[in-house]
Amino acid sequence: MIEGIFVEGLIYAIMALGVFFTFRILDFPDLTVDGSFPMGAVIMATSLHAGIHPLNGLMLAFGGGVGAGFVTAAIHNKLKVPHLLAGILTMTMLYSVNIRILSNRANLPLLRVETLLSRVQRACEGILSPEVASLIFFILVLLGLKLALDLFFHTDLGLVFGALGNNEQMVRVQGVNPATLKLIGVGLSNGLVALSGAFAAQYQGFADVNLGQGIVVSGLASVMLGEFLLRSNRIWALTLRVILGAILFKAIMYLGRYYGYYINMTPNDLKLITGLLIIISLAVSNYKRLRAKGDA
Amino acid sequence: MIELDAVTKTFNPGTPGAKTVIRNLSLTVDAGDFITIIGSNGAGKTTLFNLISGAVFPSAGEIRIMGRQVTFEPEYRRAMHIGRIFQDPLAGTASNMTIEDNMMITAKKGFRWPKISLNRTMRRKFAERVKTLDMGLETRMKVNVSSLSGGQRQALTLLMTVLSGPDILLLDEHTAALDPSNAAMVMEQTQRVIQERSLTTLMVTHNMNHAIEFGNRLIMMDAGEIIVDVKGEEKQSLTREALIQKFADIRKKAFENDEVLLAT
Repeated sequence: MIEGIFVEGLIYAIMALGVFFTFRILDFPDLTVDGSFPMGAVIMATSLHAGIHPLNGLMLAFGGGVGAGFVTAAIHNKLKVPHLLAGILTMTMLYSVNIRILSNRANLPLLRVETLLSRVQRACEGILSPEVASLIFFILVLLGLKLALDLFFHTDLGLVFGALGNNEQMVRVQGVNPATLKLIGVGLSNGLVALSGAFAAQYQGFADVNLGQGIVVSGLASVMLGEFLLRSNRIWALTLRVILGAILFKAIMYLGRYYGYYINMTPNDLKLITGLLIIISLAVSNYKRLRAKGDA
Repeated sequence: MIELDAVTKTFNPGTPGAKTVIRNLSLTVDAGDFITIIGSNGAGKTTLFNLISGAVFPSAGEIRIMGRQVTFEPEYRRAMHIGRIFQDPLAGTASNMTIEDNMMITAKKGFRWPKISLNRTMRRKFAERVKTLDMGLETRMKVNVSSLSGGQRQALTLLMTVLSGPDILLLDEHTAALDPSNAAMVMEQTQRVIQERSLTTLMVTHNMNHAIEFGNRLIMMDAGEIIVDVKGEEKQSLTREALIQKFADIRKKAFENDEVLLAT
């Protein structure tokens, strides 16, 4: 079970990194995530059934997510629609698109096809148990993605992203079009989310168009939980704490699912718990800020 | 360098709340000019800057910068030639990023690709620049800008603004939010970089002494028009009293009550 928590935490951490990018760095609360996560899952499932190599399937899923993000950013930029509404529009449209991708089905099992995960597990057969093999695999994936993101935020383009969420005026004065940055940022973020969805589908053994319901909220909860774990302004620490937050979040959800019955909780209550977690996080950080002000 | 040709700006045109803040204003700024701009609140000084920088577009008239027609060109595009500093010391920097990250962002203009330029050479270059401020900030390059004082931030903003090599500098009361000693320090730095880089500068100020002391040309605005425009020798010999007299002659109203005086 403990490997399960870590593996699921790591898979969802990819999505949480995407949510962190939009919510915290771009200051663009992006709800597209609820649609791009299952989109990654259904693209992956469909590609696997079509006999496409899993790695190419991942690329397709990432590309699909980037496309979804582009749509949201374009609606926001061109029609001057608030970001929340732009995200909801794309997310709603994606529901139909995802069913289309699955050829008018709502879900698709992956039990009979070979996934990237089953390949890895088979390659390690005799050396590692399947659980440990997937755990090591996802640790490596996350490490790679985290390093790539850290590096990206140290580039000239990445630094301007940092400034955009901070001070949009500064970006404009610097001769950079904020609309272009939002397009790239929301695109990349949803690419990560779709990638996360693609991995989730392979891990769970099926893709479902309802996989994304409330996923943005759980991503946000992971980001906020992470912020309690580490205090820093260094980008490597910021991305690390998102990953730790995602694992912690999954652990809390596991506790709720397996031991919640002691207090009469059912798995249906988990969404309520997620929401309460965010509210508590907000309250605590508000309190901390107020106290910090009082001290100063 | 900058030409405004019969520019008018009306906010909310065609509604009962219509307000004309710039009226048929024409202005030619020559390369190397340092123009100080004064005028009471609502005279249209900030709107004039917004029109030049492209933050708002005119209702009528034309704007040219460096010979190019830019009347409806978006702000980020003409920003390639313009450096602008605001009154608010928070407006020019990204608070929760380090000094060197901030400097890297402003080290060049325009879109950039994901490539890492902030290396050791760049860091040393930035530290050397910061050292010229003489604030000891060169030892705090990895500290978040939010921990700096208002004066330090505004001096840093000035340094960062000229880093990207603009041709035109727009200073919108950039010392007004600072205490007198910091204001004097930032003004001194301003004067230095303008001379070093021979920047064409427009400076809005509420401080009449600054307006008279600095620059080679002085413009006074009132109700969206330029009512006083002195340059050359007349500007050099200008006194406060002469300026007040000029205004009184034109508008025939008690200037003493005006805010321009109170702010000195």
